[in-house]
Amino acid sequence: MKVLTLLVPRWWGFRNDLYFGGRRSLIKAGSLLAVAVGFWVGIYVIFYRVLRYFQAVEEFGDLLAYKLLTMVYLTFFGLLIFSNVLVALNTFFLSQDLEIIHATPVSIGEIFAARFLDTLIESSWMVLLFGIPIFTAYGLVYQASLVYYLGLVSVMVPYLILAAALGTTITMILVQVFPAQRTRDILFLLSLLVIILLFFLFRFTRPERLVDPDAFASVITYFRALSAPASPYLPSSWASEAIWPLLKPSPISSGFYQGFLWVNGLASLVVCAFVAMWVYPEGWSKSQESGRLLAGRFLGLVSKQLRSRKPRCSQTLTLMGKDLKFFFRDNTQWSQLLLILALIVLYLYNYSVLPLDSVKVPTFYLQNLIAFLNVGLAGFVLASIGVRFVFTAVSGEGFSFWIMQSAPVSMRRLLWSKFLLYLAPLLLLGLILTIATNELLQVGALMRWLAPITIFSMVFGITALGVGMGAVFPNFRAENITQVATGFGGLLYMILAMGFIALVVILEAGPVYILFMAQARHHSLSFFQWLYVGGSILLLVLVNIAAVWLPMRYGIRKLAAYEG
Amino acid sequence: MICLEGLTKRFKQVTAVDNVSLMVAPGEIYGFLGPNGAGKTTTIKMLAGIIRPTSGSIFIDGLDLLKHPIEVKARVGFIPDRPFLYEKLTGSEFMSFMANLYGFNGAGREKRIQKFLELFELEDWAKDLVGSYSHGMKQRLIMSAALLHEPRVFIVDEPLVGLDPKGARLIKRIFTRLKRSGLTVFMSTHTLEVAEELCDRIGIIQKGELLAEGTVTELKELAGQEDPRLESIFLHLTGAETESTEDIGFINQKNSSIP
Repeated sequence: MKVLTLLVPRWWGFRNDLYFGGRRSLIKAGSLLAVAVGFWVGIYVIFYRVLRYFQAVEEFGDLLAYKLLTMVYLTFFGLLIFSNVLVALNTFFLSQDLEIIHATPVSIGEIFAARFLDTLIESSWMVLLFGIPIFTAYGLVYQASLVYYLGLVSVMVPYLILAAALGTTITMILVQVFPAQRTRDILFLLSLLVIILLFFLFRFTRPERLVDPDAFASVITYFRALSAPASPYLPSSWASEAIWPLLKPSPISSGFYQGFLWVNGLASLVVCAFVAMWVYPEGWSKSQESGRLLAGRFLGLVSKQLRSRKPRCSQTLTLMGKDLKFFFRDNTQWSQLLLILALIVLYLYNYSVLPLDSVKVPTFYLQNLIAFLNVGLAGFVLASIGVRFVFTAVSGEGFSFWIMQSAPVSMRRLLWSKFLLYLAPLLLLGLILTIATNELLQVGALMRWLAPITIFSMVFGITALGVGMGAVFPNFRAENITQVATGFGGLLYMILAMGFIALVVILEAGPVYILFMAQARHHSLSFFQWLYVGGSILLLVLVNIAAVWLPMRYGIRKLAAYEG
Repeated sequence: MICLEGLTKRFKQVTAVDNVSLMVAPGEIYGFLGPNGAGKTTTIKMLAGIIRPTSGSIFIDGLDLLKHPIEVKARVGFIPDRPFLYEKLTGSEFMSFMANLYGFNGAGREKRIQKFLELFELEDWAKDLVGSYSHGMKQRLIMSAALLHEPRVFIVDEPLVGLDPKGARLIKRIFTRLKRSGLTVFMSTHTLEVAEELCDRIGIIQKGELLAEGTVTELKELAGQEDPRLESIFLHLTGAETESTEDIGFINQKNSSIP
């Protein structure tokens, strides 16, 4: 009974968020639901089409679909293990309410049971949610019977328990070796590196060759090599083996693998509980002793540089210096630079392998068209980075925001200091993305100048939108800054940033086409064409100024009136 | 030095501070007392310029806080009740940061930072991250940062919360010293002995309204109490005198015998 009592605050918190949040909270929940449904539909459509395409391939179709299923289960299992390790670290060792819970007359067994359920739900819901459209696509493409859907439930439950038990056990052991805080940092870095590695592995296999008939023979050879059964020791293989026979027109019994999953799932739970009873009390006690932070040890040099900065400087430089120190001393912040670096490499790699020669359109025209569209794409990349770093900049002040409110610093200065801090790296990134892409595409003189100039001017708007919107929707109470980026304000920022980028691209498209064609045909522009080009440029300047001025002004006003 | 006129703050339907007017003379220590939820912290937050009043005005050192917020804040040192600080700055970095923020770049600045860190016994922790500090250490760090820029007015919400007896004695000594040097202190506290010991005048607030103000002697006369202690004056004025002794007999009773 106490286990349920321990779980109650989470549900009540969720309910109260909706109940007391009023209309705004409902709008927020509705918007997130709409985005989730959008993803859901997107995943379903992709898998449905891929599976239909596979079905059309004689002999190998089923093998491909089966391999895809094992890959899905394997990917889910990897994600679940990582997610469970991180979530268990939080629910068992770092969560703020643990101090109160451990002071109550609740046994370790009951705390374990409640926290394990918490970990299981928090780690699994996302995989489960995004798994549904995939498994539905399989069911519909193969016209599976009800047995398949019932079998799915029977497979997923022990599969998720197994992953949660494994993840929790790993965490219990890790915390015996490292302090909880350090374990989180190390795991975060590791997971980031794994994601980057997976990105590279996936991209460098060049999956686009699957649609290239010339490369198909080698792909078939590849899949023939893969037709050997997957590792029999992996739970993901057991799950695939249990599900696959149920997709057949007359389902064959998959009882053995289902039973195997259940036995192993429950056994892993028992082992996990045994390990927890043995090591959790000591691990929890240890996690309370390690108060010190890593403080950017990985970037000791940067920290040293920052420490040796001249201490006396203007308010703006002081504020910027403080934010810079925060960034490099927070391992969850600076380590994301690695992800951005990987993103740039992949971005440029994609352009370097574009099969322009195989398309029946003049290469010169296509190169310039892609370079022009690249401006929009680079803008999207910058907005995505902006929502994570720039939009969260104001909320990053956290509970210490009272210092800014009571100090003789205007909100105008605070916001402009954040604007200046994030403007420089975004400008650099935008210019790298456009100039390097232009070089790879070998575009003409017009595009060589136009793309960097456009992105240069757009970065001001993207940054200002981030800072301004972040000030309009501040969340100084967030335990984790990434929650701020994925909230309602972050979503609205992305929508507005995308709208702004689209507007710039649309406004520029007409004049660019006129100038480009005139250059290609060696014509000069008529008076009205010049008027059109001039008018568009003027409009572009106004849009860019508005994108900087309006959000900053509104953000300053809202933040000055903030009384949270 | 501090002048509040008809200060009112409403949060939707709730009036947290209701038409409060008071004056604090230069060099005076003014204690602001009241039960939980009386409106002390809301008043202090308005004085520090963190929240804006619904109506009324605040003058500090002759300047209207609402019209000249930056100039007023530069003259004020503020300490909130909960010491939320930048956890990823070291103690000395936090001091430098605050000095820059308040434009305190005068000669001997570094020496003064060092002196304050020594005074509040933080010199050995100056190079450590604030995140590793205890509650009391954070409280002492805020105190030293708030005094660094030589403020003319000191606004403190619960100055002694989380401090050990040694720290509390240090703060009392500092307040007495500051008063002698002409600094005005406006502080809220629950510790009535401290208010009695330090404050020249005391204001008692309840349900957002200023019930009474004056010296301890004046308040005693006002309350007409035999007991000279501030505690009984406070309980009498706030009407909490009788409540506290009533209906607590059930504490030692078993569940079954509670009516």
